[in-house]
Amino acid sequence: MAKVIIDPVTRIEGHLRIDTEVSNQRIVNAWSKGEMFRGFEALLKGRDPFDSPVITQRICGVCPVSHAVASCKAVENSLGIAIPENARLMRNLILGSNYIASHLTHFYQLSALDFIQAEAILKYRGSNRSLRNLRTWVEQEVASKKILPAAPFLPHLKGDYPKDQAWNFRALQHYLESLDIRKDAHTMAALFGGKMPHTASMLAGGVTTRLTPDLVENFRVRLLRIRQFIDETYLPDVLQAAKLFKNYADIGSGNAIYLAYGVFDEKDGPFLPGGLLQDGQQRPLEPKKIAEQTFHSYYREGSPRHPYQGETLPDAEKDNAYSWIKAPRYAGMPCEVGPLARLMIAYKSGVAPVRKRVATLLAQLGWQERHLNSVLGRHATRALETSIIAERMELWLDQLTLANPTVGEIPSTTSGQGAGLTEAPRGALGHWLTVEQNKIDNYQCIVPSTWNFSPAGQEGEPGPVEAALIGTPVATGSQGLEAARVVRSFDPCIACAIH
Amino acid sequence: MKITRRTFLKDAGLVVGILGLSQSAVPQVAEALELLASGRAPVLWLQGQACSGCSISLLNSESPSPADLLTRYLSLYFHHTLSAATGVAARKVLEQSIADERTVLVVEGSVPAGMPKACTLGDETFNELLIRAAKGAQAVVCVGACASFGGIPAAQGNPTGALDVPTFLQQAGIEKPVINLPGCPTHPAWSVGTILHLLRGSLPELDELHRPKAYYNELLHDQCPLFAKYQIQEFARLPGEDGCLFKLGCQGAITKADCSMRGWNGGVNWCVRTRGVCVGCARPEFARDRDYPFYRIHESATNGPRDKES
Ligand code: SF4
Ligand code: SF4
Repeated sequence: MAKVIIDPVTRIEGHLRIDTEVSNQRIVNAWSKGEMFRGFEALLKGRDPFDSPVITQRICGVCPVSHAVASCKAVENSLGIAIPENARLMRNLILGSNYIASHLTHFYQLSALDFIQAEAILKYRGSNRSLRNLRTWVEQEVASKKILPAAPFLPHLKGDYPKDQAWNFRALQHYLESLDIRKDAHTMAALFGGKMPHTASMLAGGVTTRLTPDLVENFRVRLLRIRQFIDETYLPDVLQAAKLFKNYADIGSGNAIYLAYGVFDEKDGPFLPGGLLQDGQQRPLEPKKIAEQTFHSYYREGSPRHPYQGETLPDAEKDNAYSWIKAPRYAGMPCEVGPLARLMIAYKSGVAPVRKRVATLLAQLGWQERHLNSVLGRHATRALETSIIAERMELWLDQLTLANPTVGEIPSTTSGQGAGLTEAPRGALGHWLTVEQNKIDNYQCIVPSTWNFSPAGQEGEPGPVEAALIGTPVATGSQGLEAARVVRSFDPCIACAIH
Repeated sequence: MKITRRTFLKDAGLVVGILGLSQSAVPQVAEALELLASGRAPVLWLQGQACSGCSISLLNSESPSPADLLTRYLSLYFHHTLSAATGVAARKVLEQSIADERTVLVVEGSVPAGMPKACTLGDETFNELLIRAAKGAQAVVCVGACASFGGIPAAQGNPTGALDVPTFLQQAGIEKPVINLPGCPTHPAWSVGTILHLLRGSLPELDELHRPKAYYNELLHDQCPLFAKYQIQEFARLPGEDGCLFKLGCQGAITKADCSMRGWNGGVNWCVRTRGVCVGCARPEFARDRDYPFYRIHESATNGPRDKES
């Protein structure tokens, strides 16, 4: 049996190693290994609970807003703080902007180079200015005789990159163009958030930003331009990739146990609802069924613990451990979280815009529902979700009331216990908190990539990505490109997963 | 291969000949060529205990734009989040970059000095890799609070014994020019400005903590739009109230950075303008002490925040 190791997995957030065993040109075994630990939960102990949105945002520079939302909610939930309407809406808008930036970056900067023949640029003869500049640059780089010309675009792993030059040119052009669009999404988040990454306005009790008409219209103008890019460029590019790599609608299927906590609070509940979807059966979310195991993780002990009882005691030398990521389970089951899980649950729950858009997507691609559970299905649902959320953001923007407050009253309660459940771009995110006399007594986070990239559990059952890798067909002499495509479709964020 | 002045003069001679210029133009052309080449000095970007926020912030650069940065200004030999090279290809690229003595090493994130296995890459610990990479580099740029001063991983409790990069390298006996660009994250203007300065072949002027004076010379409090409120002692006591944020916990008065002048994300906003406190993310002691909360919500609002030196 041949071993193929991908270490480091680049074009993701953080330090991830993937080990696979290949037999008869298929992956038969896989290990997901998270390789960087900081210990946020230990650092939070003894701090003021209001510190937690500032600290936990720094878990991740790609999705800081989700951590801010989760920790604000956890503090509000534990101390009984209510927030005004404007704060709820602004959180949705800042979070929505973060989703857009994160999803665009994921497709173009992180994933697209697996589906593009970058060298094709040398054959470009068209008149697009940015592509001509790119060609000239690559030519100069090659002529310069430097050891690594055209880095970071080259070199890449060997593999089946497309020969369709029109696609290669178009995708490269959009790689460059999307850089400005994702930056603009960050600017949008900063209008209400103060700065990005790591916002300054989000605190338990509300959002400090004062609403003014120019702020709202500044946001609106940017949103319109970004929506145009999402609908006219991003989504069509993903559909085109799906047509070019048809086989990847059957590769990378996960265990089809989908979990979501619900996100984007509206008056009568989250816009995208939470729940558990298993064997096509949808059930309401029961957070008490969540527990984390550490049998194969570098932490002392191993027995499953609900996050209120959770602990984080590192043991870098532990036998049998192979990852710094813990293994969260829902009623003992590994679950897939992320845009695919979110949209499947919203679809089954009958959320109108989601039902319509998913049906259209399936028709456009000639797919059955099962094709969504694949590498391409994850990219497609992520793009579709970006469009759906961006559209909804206009509604939230219109619901802001300039004259009303943005921060609620902060009661003098000093002890309590609470959870903040939301969704990050990569899936279900929870912070669990116990406060004693105004100090954090225990803080536990279970982050989307903790779910997806978890190692094997107590029964030896593989984590979701490990399971999705098993069965992946690989070319003779593969250096791991096929596995990397499967892994990246989950949009790994390892700084998040371990924290 | 090291490109010398002589190579540039030779190349310049050829260029002058081809363009039909007089020989007196040779030194000028040589200089231009040298600048062009040095403008592309390779950058090796490593991530230790980091959140990638400084990398994401780099992509928010206004001018040059991120696309220009990638394809005109930087020769980004390796970057964890951007390199096409992955797995075996990435390992090879890393080794080639380390071997190139012109490399400018950029480090994002702290070093788990007390628990080396808390960050690994390939079969090597990040700590070992960092030492190898720093030995071969012409200069080391620490982006962000974590690399410069330890940041949040090194906050009280510090379970991995996280250290800032300059102290770690010093303990390993490595002497290289070091530049600190604190901030959580680093503002793209600070990182881009500094890297471009370096690639032009000279060190920017630094203060005693190795921060470029161009960005970190003044307390941001002095340029704050709420400074007038501070002077007339009009203070907000709770979030959402009018007035200077000093008594709410704002650390602007002890933080050296140009946020209040420059703004963030294209200048559309910054912490205090959005009426959040400055949490002192550019300070050496950022987040360090658990007994000093960022927001002084629960204490009697009569005492001002601590006045430690920055
Ligand atoms: S808000 Fe902060 S930076 Fe501004 S004047 Fe007050 S203390 Fe200084
Ligand atoms: S104002 Fe303070 S907290 Fe905000 S970015 Fe500047 S130094 Fe950091």
